[in-house]
Amino acid sequence: MKRRIQLSFARPMIALALLLVTGTALKAQGLQFNAAYNINFPTGPSFRNLVDHAAFKGFTAGFAYPVMSRLRVGLSIGYNDYYQKYARQVYSNGPGSDISAVVSNSIQQAPLLVTVDYTFLKKGLLRPYIGAGAGINFITFDQYLGEFDNPVNSTYFAARGEAGLLLPLSKTSGTAVRIGGSFNYAPYKKYGIDDLNNWGVHAGISVPFH
Amino acid sequence: MCKKNVWLWGALLIITFLGSCRKDPLNHLTNDESRIYVTNFDTTANFSSYSTFSVADSVAVVQDNQFAGRSLNAFDSQVILAITQQLLQRGYQQVNSKSNPDLAINISRVYTSSTVLFSYGDYWDYYDQYWDPYYWGYPGYDFYDPYAVGSYTLNSGGLEIDLLDLKNAAANGNKIKGIWTGMAQGEQVFSTTNGMNEVAALFSQSAYLKK
Repeated sequence: MKRRIQLSFARPMIALALLLVTGTALKAQGLQFNAAYNINFPTGPSFRNLVDHAAFKGFTAGFAYPVMSRLRVGLSIGYNDYYQKYARQVYSNGPGSDISAVVSNSIQQAPLLVTVDYTFLKKGLLRPYIGAGAGINFITFDQYLGEFDNPVNSTYFAARGEAGLLLPLSKTSGTAVRIGGSFNYAPYKKYGIDDLNNWGVHAGISVPFH
Repeated sequence: MCKKNVWLWGALLIITFLGSCRKDPLNHLTNDESRIYVTNFDTTANFSSYSTFSVADSVAVVQDNQFAGRSLNAFDSQVILAITQQLLQRGYQQVNSKSNPDLAINISRVYTSSTVLFSYGDYWDYYDQYWDPYYWGYPGYDFYDPYAVGSYTLNSGGLEIDLLDLKNAAANGNKIKGIWTGMAQGEQVFSTTNGMNEVAALFSQSAYLKK
């Protein structure tokens, strides 16, 4: 009788595919493709009350276009899956009502952001960068009581600040390994939850389309 | 394929493999963990004011809100025995159903087809079709919906145990009031290996239910 629900990563994957197709078709001068694997950590008591450990299923991908020599603007899609299961407890469901259940919290965030990146050095094997983004966060919040769930999809504002290093593959290569950290601002006002803010670390790649 | 594309697609493959997809909670639940136990009680009821009880000698089978008959298979017998033991441990005295018990206990196995949602409220709307008040010696009486009816929606089979107030039926306007309900749902809820534990779980979260 276990029920399956639609996999919520389909949406960001479709968006990623669209980005790829669009970017490959454009191959605009200076356009840069970024993709990274993310590990994200819930912050704040509200989020940590639902999930208190790291999410190891996450990525970001996007394009950035140079508007100045070191400044790029772009579009980014991200995805993070948070999950935690709690041992069986009896929960009050109001006066005269109790539920005993194993509670599992499953939260997916997929922020679609307009981004700005600034790279401090144009040359060298270590190129620090900072970035910021703002946009829409597609959130699926699904709390299971035993095998019974009630998924809720929402969209909220999202913002991200990040910093890291670009490690070019060679002195002349535009392709670089991209590592860094980020703080992700994710307001969420439902079920007594204040926010789904998190910070994360990422490692990936930046590839220019020349 | 140029070197840049190898890097690009290699990185994409790794990132997609590591970073995408969702950890499905259903794949991380045992059958025991899949089950939930819900109890509702009338907050105005004084459970210590009742002395005697009688448990129905069979279980009603309800399919999509339709009475499908009575049953006494191994699981049903196990549940009847477990309920009896629980109430005896809590200080109530078991009597014959013809001996005017203060409390009557009805048990139902509720099934729904996969396409039809079964609401807890609907279950009580048709209650007198599963359990005629005559069974307990109260012909012509109606049933009160129990406390907190309608709070839940079931979407699969469930075990339902209803504790009815016969002692005050006349004082309640010739209505038999449900003062406690226990419901178990989830994987293998009707398995004989789980019946005793399910009843124990329902009673363990109902400490107020004692003489």
